[in-house]
Amino acid sequence: MLFLRRLLAPLLVFNISVGIFGACASPKDAGKSAAAAFSVALLTPGSISDQSWNGGAYDGLLRIRDSLGADISHIQTKTPAEFEENFRQYGAKGYSLVFGHGFEFQDAAARVGPSFPNTVYVTTGGTRTSANVSAMSFAFEQPSFLAGVVAASVSQSGIIGCIGGTELPPVKAGFASFAQGVHFVNPNAKVVTAYIGNWDDAGAGKEQALAQVARGVDVIYQNADAAGLGIFQAAKDSKRVYVIGSNSNQNGVAPNVTLGSVVIDLPAAFMSMAREVKSGQFTPRVHVLDTRSGVMKWIVNPALRSAIPTRALQVVDSLEQHMRAGTFTPPAATGTR
Amino acid sequence: MSIDAAEFMQASVRTATPLALAAYGELVVERAGVINLGLEGAMIAGAFGALVGASAGGIGAGFAMAVVAGCAATLLMAWVVLWLRADAVIAGTAVTLLALGLTGTLYRALYGAQGAALSVPTLAPVAVPGLHQLPWIGPAFFEQPLATYALYAMACGLWWWLPRTHAGLALRATGERPDAALAAGISPVTVRAWALLFGGAMGGLAGGVLVLAQVGTFAEGMSAGRGFIAIAIVVLGRWSPVGVALAALLFGSASQLQYVFQSLGWPVPYQLFLALPYVLTLLVLAGTQRRAAAPASLGAPLDTAP
Repeated sequence: MLFLRRLLAPLLVFNISVGIFGACASPKDAGKSAAAAFSVALLTPGSISDQSWNGGAYDGLLRIRDSLGADISHIQTKTPAEFEENFRQYGAKGYSLVFGHGFEFQDAAARVGPSFPNTVYVTTGGTRTSANVSAMSFAFEQPSFLAGVVAASVSQSGIIGCIGGTELPPVKAGFASFAQGVHFVNPNAKVVTAYIGNWDDAGAGKEQALAQVARGVDVIYQNADAAGLGIFQAAKDSKRVYVIGSNSNQNGVAPNVTLGSVVIDLPAAFMSMAREVKSGQFTPRVHVLDTRSGVMKWIVNPALRSAIPTRALQVVDSLEQHMRAGTFTPPAATGTR
Repeated sequence: MSIDAAEFMQASVRTATPLALAAYGELVVERAGVINLGLEGAMIAGAFGALVGASAGGIGAGFAMAVVAGCAATLLMAWVVLWLRADAVIAGTAVTLLALGLTGTLYRALYGAQGAALSVPTLAPVAVPGLHQLPWIGPAFFEQPLATYALYAMACGLWWWLPRTHAGLALRATGERPDAALAAGISPVTVRAWALLFGGAMGGLAGGVLVLAQVGTFAEGMSAGRGFIAIAIVVLGRWSPVGVALAALLFGSASQLQYVFQSLGWPVPYQLFLALPYVLTLLVLAGTQRRAAAPASLGAPLDTAP
């Protein structure tokens, strides 16, 4: 069933081969009827092997399968035309819940939503809602600010880098808040920001990181998914250069150079959304998920905890408590998301 | 915040190396009259082969697997285009899409659905005694991984081989007038098949260099269009070995310039910097003389070739 369903999806070789594997990976779904059961689909903008944004979403999908017994399906998409086409495919197949993983899916969800009123569309980013469309908005700025505090406390040169995939609003907002965290500790520090232009080119990620290191950058905050894997490699090849990971807990990707990660607990966010839909309690709205809800976290890499000054760790702890209590909001969070 | 010229040149050559390797493969294929859009596929197959080989048996095994994987991807192309007489543009596109999907699938099958962010050993730069002390160009050209020196040998070999050997003549004849080549007792199908195999091996090697001499890890889709850039480099280099070297170096330097500009933190939209290598390429293409340099039968299937 699952296999056929995937084959009927857009006839792109790429999607098919990814789909075939997806089907192989979840043999226990075979034989179940999709129409009757609770079924959840996920569209990612990149590869689920990125150890980051897309991998975290796939973890969320697996948790929905294991905890709620849902039939699951995943397709990797690249262009807005594919977002819309696959939203329609899943709607036509009667899926209960379809995640479009990213800010960039919101236009497609708004267009497709009205055609399939029995399917709930959720985009992980953006602010658009309608009868059956919700958005999850991650307060990326909050842990990014804490990461900035740590980066500035560790940096010897006072030059700190940010490298992103493309300039999506959530990525930009995270970098802005990170820079404020840096300046909170060291007002004279310089923050340079670069974008790779895509989310896959690990070679370009590494070269961009090396170019920053050559300018004196010694801490890099990366938010570039699979391309970011090259940034970790650049730090490993350089001396005394640290990376801060993002989206998933990336502390294990390169434990010797990773100070910590700005983590979105995507599995928890996906589960709460799936529970809401499964129980029939769905109400369209923008879910703002932040440190208070426990979805957004700054996680220090235990292996490098000693590289961070104790004073900085104390400041971060105190700021985090104030964020949870709602008594401190990073200034950048007031901007649009 | 100064820019070290020698370091910049060294990074430019490093960036240009996989592009040049793939472009030399494509040069031979196009001189035989075929456009191989499957080059991008050969490259990602090579990158994945390098990961598998290097994880199992070290750097040498990585390069061997890269070449084998690149050949395998291109053999499919050769079979469909030369024996089934399919359109080369469609076949090449299909091979690229297939290789991008298949490498992702195999990567997840071998290393878990969410990959492993593996680190593979990489070739360290080796300084050539004497030469690497030359001012400016010393570190740039003579303090590179061994793969780059293999590229120099390949470039010199092609520069000598193409115009001066019987086999080189057979290759060029097949690309210009396959009917005349056939009359002279040369089998255009055989020549094109060997050319494609060479192109696939070079594409695979380029992918291997990307993993084993640059990045040190594999990511799905990490070839990121370099195969197509290599095809453009062949055109920019006017189908000549020297031209290809210069064009690859131009593209490598423009890419590095882009990285450096972004790292300076100027308040300029980053898209302008990202466009820089392509804008420079267009300017050079527009500025060079328009003498027809393409092989006369480039892209023409054998049964309708002039």
